[in-house]
Amino acid sequence: MKGIVFTELLDLVEEKFGLGMVDTIIENSELESGGVYTAVGTYSFAEMLSLLKSLSAATGISIDDLLEVYAEHFFSVVEVSYPGFLAQYNDPIEMLASIENHIHVEVRKIYPDAELPTFDIEEKTDKSLTMLYTSSRAMYSFGRGLMNKTFEHFNSSATIIMEKLKEDGTEVRFIITKND
Amino acid sequence: MTKLSVEILERALKRERAARKQAERILEQKARELYTLTQELQFSNKELEHMVWEKTSELKGVFENIIDAFVVMDLSGKVLKMNDAAIDLLGYTIANEPINLIDIVHPDEKQGIIDAFKLLYVNGSVANYQVKVITKEGKTRLVDINASIIYDEKDKPVAAQGIVRDITEFKCLENQKEILLKKLEKSNDELQEYAHVVSHDLKSPLRSIYALVDWIKEDNEGQFNEETLHNFSLIDITLEKMEQLISDVLDYSSVTSENVSAAEVDLNIVFKDIYQILYLPDHIKLSCIKNLPSIKGNRSRLQQLFQNLISNAIRYCDKEEGLIDLDYKDQGEFYQFSIQDNGIGIAPEHHEKIFKIFQSLHQNKESTGVGLSIVKKIVESYQGEIWLESALGEGTTFYFTLKKEL
Repeated sequence: MKGIVFTELLDLVEEKFGLGMVDTIIENSELESGGVYTAVGTYSFAEMLSLLKSLSAATGISIDDLLEVYAEHFFSVVEVSYPGFLAQYNDPIEMLASIENHIHVEVRKIYPDAELPTFDIEEKTDKSLTMLYTSSRAMYSFGRGLMNKTFEHFNSSATIIMEKLKEDGTEVRFIITKND
Repeated sequence: MTKLSVEILERALKRERAARKQAERILEQKARELYTLTQELQFSNKELEHMVWEKTSELKGVFENIIDAFVVMDLSGKVLKMNDAAIDLLGYTIANEPINLIDIVHPDEKQGIIDAFKLLYVNGSVANYQVKVITKEGKTRLVDINASIIYDEKDKPVAAQGIVRDITEFKCLENQKEILLKKLEKSNDELQEYAHVVSHDLKSPLRSIYALVDWIKEDNEGQFNEETLHNFSLIDITLEKMEQLISDVLDYSSVTSENVSAAEVDLNIVFKDIYQILYLPDHIKLSCIKNLPSIKGNRSRLQQLFQNLISNAIRYCDKEEGLIDLDYKDQGEFYQFSIQDNGIGIAPEHHEKIFKIFQSLHQNKESTGVGLSIVKKIVESYQGEIWLESALGEGTTFYFTLKKEL
């Protein structure tokens, strides 16, 4: 997993809960890296899972909720780093529908070894989008957080329903309906 | 600060430092990778530049040295580049005055060139398009254009190139040739017509003389002495020869390639007919070495050809036992025939002369000197050749070729 996902998470934890919480979750997790992360490095996904579990245990907030909040924070990283990329779109549905065939293609050009989820479009209208999320990481809530922010970016909002097709969350249907 | 928070800060600082070092290491590695990549790119860039340079110089050479006029124009016909030959042909130099191909086309052919341009755009090329252009000096030249579209790397048409060949002179010569051919045909017809008329006109006074001489002889029967009678018989012989001469001339003038009709002629039958027609003395043996082929052509002409040669061989036989052999060889497109005799032979200095009209080597009453020239004319109408080998006193072999199919 890309280092920036770790560094941004720890920055957010420090911002919300203080440096003490950062220290706690690192100390409480089994980390091969010893909690040393740089945005340009690459680290095992198991470390992310371990950090999230520790954070959930220490704060009492569910992993799904943590991921969603973190994703909303992460969207701002994209806004700052790749403003031109977002400027290509003028509609949140169009942007989300292009994840698989455009956004992920571009991401792979920058990070050839990135391991990305798939978002298959099942149905699409001007106002709604149904997509099937598949990933061994089961980070669907991270996806939902990014989607919320996407609508916000275009001064819009949406109702997003998630249907878990598999109990472990590796296959989830997103039913996105734009609010009027 | 509590002891705990100091520990936390220390750990955080340690992590940050380690992370910084890690980042530096990674970035250093990336920088090295980038450097290597840049080196590789620079190298391949150099190679590409070299290739481009080579191609450009190659094309430049072609452009400058091509003998025909070469013009590069944009899609509206505006000339972008032209070689020296094009400048020579059109008289314009685009450096001083921009020109459009459509503007220099002859006013009558404006629509034609616009259509040709459309065709070029649709098909990608135009071949042998002939159009009149007006040079800077105001001269009209007929040119032949072969043009094609130049595409960019995305297959989008960007320009057109054309080879412009000046065919004014060529066309002029072609027209002249056409006119000459027509004239020749006409004069040939006239000549044949003339030969007909002349021979007809010549024959009738001959017949009058013939009749008059007869009357004189009848009217003065018993009154002429020996010598006068002999002279009268010489007049008869001369008149006969004269008539034969006229007939032969007429015959000669009517042999042209147009008389060759395309019927299949079995030469064995022709040979058999000749055998029956000719008077063959007992001491001469005429034989055909092998079965003769069939040939496409005019039967009576072919018969005339063989008959003239065989009758010559009979006429000029001086041996106690005369031999005349007819043979042939298949040479692919042609048949080569030979007629061999053991007669008096022909001296080398006469080998050419005998084929010319009115050239008889012997003062023979049967010979008018036309026979072999007719033979030659017939052979030539079959795109063949005729020649001979001969030794005086030993005999002669005439060879000739005939094309199997015309």
